[in-house]
Amino acid sequence: MKIAVLIAPAVHPVSGRPCAGEADLAALALAQRLSSQVDVWYAGAADDAALADYLARGATHIHTLALAAGREVLSPLAEALQDYALVLCGARAGGGDGSGLLPYQLAEQLGRALLPDVLDLSKSDQQWQALQALPKGVRRTLAAKLPLVASVHARAASAVGWSYARLQQGKIQRKAATGAALPQVVLEPARRARALVAASKVSGHARMQGAIAGGEGKSAGIVVKQGDSVEKAQVVLDYLRQHQLVDF
Amino acid sequence: MSFSLAHALTGLFWLGALLLLGGLARRASLWQQGRSASVSWLGLLAMPKRYFVDIHHVVAREPAVARAHVAAAGGGVAILLLSALNYGLMLYQGWLDVLLVLMAVVMLLGARMMQARRLQAPPRLSQGRWQVLPARLRLFALGSLLAAGLLFAGPQLGLAGQLIAVVALLMLALGGAELALGIGLGWPMKHAVAGLLHLAFHPRVERFAGKSSDLKPLNLAAGELGVAKVEDFAWNRLLSFDACVQCGKCEAACPAYAAGQPLNPKKLIQDMVAAQSRGTDPAYAGNPHPGREATVVVKPGEDIVGSVLAAETLWSCTTCRACVENCPMLIEHVDTVVNLRRHVTLSRGEVPGKGSEALANLRNTDTVGGYPLAVRYHWAIDLDLPLLQPGEHTEWLLLAGEGAFDMRYQRALRALVKVLKAAGVNVAVLGAAERDCGDVARRLGDEAGFQRLAQANIATLAQYRFAHIVTPDPHVFHCLANEYPALGGQFDVWHHSKLLEHLLARRAIPLKADATPLPPLTFHDPCYLGRYNDGFNAPRNVLKGIGIKVVDMQRSGRDARCCGWGGGAAFTDIPGQRRIPDMRMDDIRETGTGRVAVACPNCTAMLEGVVGERADVIELAELVVERLA
Repeated sequence: MKIAVLIAPAVHPVSGRPCAGEADLAALALAQRLSSQVDVWYAGAADDAALADYLARGATHIHTLALAAGREVLSPLAEALQDYALVLCGARAGGGDGSGLLPYQLAEQLGRALLPDVLDLSKSDQQWQALQALPKGVRRTLAAKLPLVASVHARAASAVGWSYARLQQGKIQRKAATGAALPQVVLEPARRARALVAASKVSGHARMQGAIAGGEGKSAGIVVKQGDSVEKAQVVLDYLRQHQLVDF
Repeated sequence: MSFSLAHALTGLFWLGALLLLGGLARRASLWQQGRSASVSWLGLLAMPKRYFVDIHHVVAREPAVARAHVAAAGGGVAILLLSALNYGLMLYQGWLDVLLVLMAVVMLLGARMMQARRLQAPPRLSQGRWQVLPARLRLFALGSLLAAGLLFAGPQLGLAGQLIAVVALLMLALGGAELALGIGLGWPMKHAVAGLLHLAFHPRVERFAGKSSDLKPLNLAAGELGVAKVEDFAWNRLLSFDACVQCGKCEAACPAYAAGQPLNPKKLIQDMVAAQSRGTDPAYAGNPHPGREATVVVKPGEDIVGSVLAAETLWSCTTCRACVENCPMLIEHVDTVVNLRRHVTLSRGEVPGKGSEALANLRNTDTVGGYPLAVRYHWAIDLDLPLLQPGEHTEWLLLAGEGAFDMRYQRALRALVKVLKAAGVNVAVLGAAERDCGDVARRLGDEAGFQRLAQANIATLAQYRFAHIVTPDPHVFHCLANEYPALGGQFDVWHHSKLLEHLLARRAIPLKADATPLPPLTFHDPCYLGRYNDGFNAPRNVLKGIGIKVVDMQRSGRDARCCGWGGGAAFTDIPGQRRIPDMRMDDIRETGTGRVAVACPNCTAMLEGVVGERADVIELAELVVERLA
């Protein structure tokens, strides 16, 4: 099965240099786990050097839809991706001016289901099941039929390590494309954030005591003082399993 | 009778010579698997000097073994030469027999000494065929003694003489087999032939003309990406592995081995031998990589890392050069480790632990820790340290290195700047224009990253005018002084210990007049200052110059133990039984001084990272600044 992966250069938070985005790398890795036929697509104005990290991290061939700066990428991408039953992309680009809306707009334009914030994908009886990442470590399973678009969460397993040889062997194929002008961005002052109000006024030490001391409070935890290190570790492991924070 | 014995000896000599040549041809075909290398045949002429001077420097550190080897090898070579003359060329001169008897006695004594040592062999020595070698050599020497003695005094002995002749020939055949077959079958005496050729065609031939500790650049444009398979080694590297005598001095000196990390340098070299001989040599009979099986399965055609050698073994190395320093056969272990790492990093992109993160930081921010370049000199904000502008001139350019981002090391940097200012030194810095020197990238095998950083730094430095560079980081010092020249960067680089020594010698640093005696301390030699650059005296002279007595650790100077940081080992962080800095702290505790002076930001961090009660870790410049008037 042919899978399309969408990538875009991220902006490094310290140096501002273009680099690979974590979510896009995770999308690439997931696609490579699912199929040996993975086409990597990029639409935008970035030069080849900005995409180099993706070549080094395992994208052997990148199809670039070269657009002038300030042009929207949605319609050229939608046109190029029509024939792919499965389209994967990062949940959002790494840094920069990204709105995070592209996966939604793309799914809408292609008329397909979107599985957002996916950690893993697997196929069972004509259905594709996705493990979705929700805040605070919560996971849930979604299912959809092909064709579909899935946006991959940045915490999903990342692509292979950076390799100079892959960078040298990788190829970027540029194709000129046209897109409509992006709507004018309107900047407005941020609304004043609501001041945080502490739920209780007791000290941090007292709250820690409340959390670990046991007894009446419903948030009371368990304090394990007996037993050897293995038994204590077992208690921690049981807790993590109970809250689905580990899956082994 | 003597006539027939002499002819038998002639036959035996030529048979041995033919077997040796055949064996050498077989071994040479193994070496030919490797890539071509530019070597000079004149190396063969330089061989005696390299043998008697360069090897002797290393071997003489263990005088008893050196004496035994001089007697056994000297006697053996003399026997072979005399036999070649007298029996090979069929001169049959009695006076040569007298010399033969004398040399046989010498060899006998040497072999006896070696056998005595083998009775209480230190654990670093390999067993197996190596354990019985002295007995075989004795057999050969005794056979020579009997045969030559018999030929000299033979005619009077009659039947007894014939019996002795038969015994002597048997002994010569048995003992001689060890010499003749060694090179072909990979027995211990392989080392004599391969070792001599290794001296002639050494892959780092410049080490015979002076210090040579720089890594050699890869020609990335030509597609060189390090060593994946045996065929990717230069042929003289393969030859160098065959020179190994399995004495285990590298094993005894290796900090990773002592820490129980899965690296034994001796085994590493023997793994390479197993890979090139496809396992046809006798099985390895020494200590394994800690925690691993001793046996290796050679799968021809497969990459070395992952089949013969585990990646963890490769990443345990701190590139401290203790193995290279101690190797009596002048084998370059660190080159081999880095060559193999280059393949794993450049081709596979499989750098373990935080190593890949460090490399990503270097790519993205030009710093190991992922810091903004603009904050490198924030610690100097109140020190009135001039920022060098392009075109301006300064006498000394200070490169602070990665330590500038570490809050603890910033104290040392501030001390250094204060001392230099007090001494009236004209010093300036590059500020945000300074990038990482590329040391970590290069040792982790990312040659492409190193060359990018080095070339960027060379281009940057070309825009400024300065007479000398001074840096407190031995890794920056080593890179700029020894490794940038190959990429076109020629600078006069000083480690700050040398500059402080120079200033103290000229009395340029105003010191307190009162001579309150300072408590003694011990000094930890940084590998990249000491073993890499022979900078043993400068830091000690600085301490002496400010009136502090240095109590050296048992392992100091050339034998100093690594702090565990080098070679990116602090990033790859391969687990072992102990941590290397903990062992070093034990060395420091043994001196009883309770304080240790350091001269490297990384040693500072590693030694201060020791948990529990530990000695105070003080940088050289911090000690000097305390004594400022």
